[in-house]
Amino acid sequence: MFEYTFQWRQAFRALPQMLEGALVTMQISLLSMVLGITIAVLLAVGRNSKSIWLRAPATTWVEVARNTPALFQIYMAHFGLGSFGIYLSPFVALLAGITFNNAGYLCETFRGALRAIPDTQMRAGRSLGMGPAKAFRLIIAPQMFRIAFLPTTNQMVWAILMTSLGVTVGMNTDLTGVTQALNSRTFRTFELFALAGVIYYCIAKAVMLGARLLAWRLFRY
Amino acid sequence: MKFIKFAGALVAAALVAPAASADKLDDIIASGTLRCAVVLDFPPMGSRDANNEPIGFDVDYCNDLAKALDVTAEIVETPFPDRIPALVSGRADVGIASTSDTLERARTVGFTIPYFAFTFNVVTNADAGLQAYEDLADRTVGSVAGTYEAIRLEEDIKKWDKGGSFRSYQSQADVFLALSQGQIDATTVTSTVASAIVQGGKYEGLSMTGEAPYDVDYVGLIALRQEYGLLNYLDLFVNQQVRTGRYQELYEQYIGGDAPRLTVDKVYY
Repeated sequence: MFEYTFQWRQAFRALPQMLEGALVTMQISLLSMVLGITIAVLLAVGRNSKSIWLRAPATTWVEVARNTPALFQIYMAHFGLGSFGIYLSPFVALLAGITFNNAGYLCETFRGALRAIPDTQMRAGRSLGMGPAKAFRLIIAPQMFRIAFLPTTNQMVWAILMTSLGVTVGMNTDLTGVTQALNSRTFRTFELFALAGVIYYCIAKAVMLGARLLAWRLFRY
Repeated sequence: MKFIKFAGALVAAALVAPAASADKLDDIIASGTLRCAVVLDFPPMGSRDANNEPIGFDVDYCNDLAKALDVTAEIVETPFPDRIPALVSGRADVGIASTSDTLERARTVGFTIPYFAFTFNVVTNADAGLQAYEDLADRTVGSVAGTYEAIRLEEDIKKWDKGGSFRSYQSQADVFLALSQGQIDATTVTSTVASAIVQGGKYEGLSMTGEAPYDVDYVGLIALRQEYGLLNYLDLFVNQQVRTGRYQELYEQYIGGDAPRLTVDKVYY
């Protein structure tokens, strides 16, 4: 039996603090996506490269990022590097961990998208007198982003939710961290975390909506 | 015939009625098991021995309580932040988990009279060159989320406002790991943990840097706020533990010396 009287007033009074935490959460997830996409494009190109010196590190990154838990990656960024004397603050450790994870997953998304673009596109570009870099930038990349767009928004939502793992490395300013701190003071666990859940849901929905609008603006045929 | 029907109805009522009015204390006695939420990351109050079995002051208190109730004890390992969820979701009956009896928390959960009292020490990384509690003002410090000392330390860092920052970790082990690595310069912990850890030598480069000027932290057993029957029983249990000398005996076993007084001057509990 669940024996508990819900006291929502106390939770709602904490709402401003939690919304501040939500801002930090959005900040981390947006930054991690921007950095993650940039690295992922480089990794995808690296994995498709003929040179082993580009392929090997890219493949290693992807293998580790995709086949270990995000919690482990974040923990390693904080305590793992810490044992070598490299101190990342909780914010940076969390950002690094999620970026590492994002880059790994997005790399595979982009690589799949690259495969889906017929070789003739590149050849057509070259035959119009473009160099390889210019052809990639103007012909291939836009098509790649269009194909990869929906899986990328998926990863974006995933990045938002992963920020909640920051509490394990001492993060206390993001939404989960703030909620946890409020919880320990008041013991109003269920109200506070229910509210946090709703806020996470709203952030994720808002980001998806924003992504739709962006896609409509950018990728219309 | 009428009498038999009446008697039958009485018997039926007697069989059904107690179940309807049974409180938590009845439930524990009937089930034959007492489930205690204990933090096993907090030596010497609760930890695990070489065979991974729970040991510590709180564990023994749970066993004593079970013996008093004539039931078997079951330890439910509970990290600090999960003590209340464990009670409310019915995973545990009683929290024997060094819970500070703040008025803010008492709005949510029921506390007994104090069963233990803590004082606090500052533990620093030896390289940080800190001498006193006030030196922490411009440093990065940390403690276990949700503990009395974490709340005090964070308040003081905010009050000093000299560029120090506070981090809350999820377990005591993470705090000492961060401290020995130098991620944080200092932490405040209960004097019991401080001596256990610094003397234990499991973490390198830690040093005791005096007392933290916090009020004595009285901790109570916790149960659901509305379970008066159980809370009354627990109050009596705590009283009896002290009266029979068991409190002092366990204190000597796990900490050593004279057990702290559990009374406050000039007021009844």
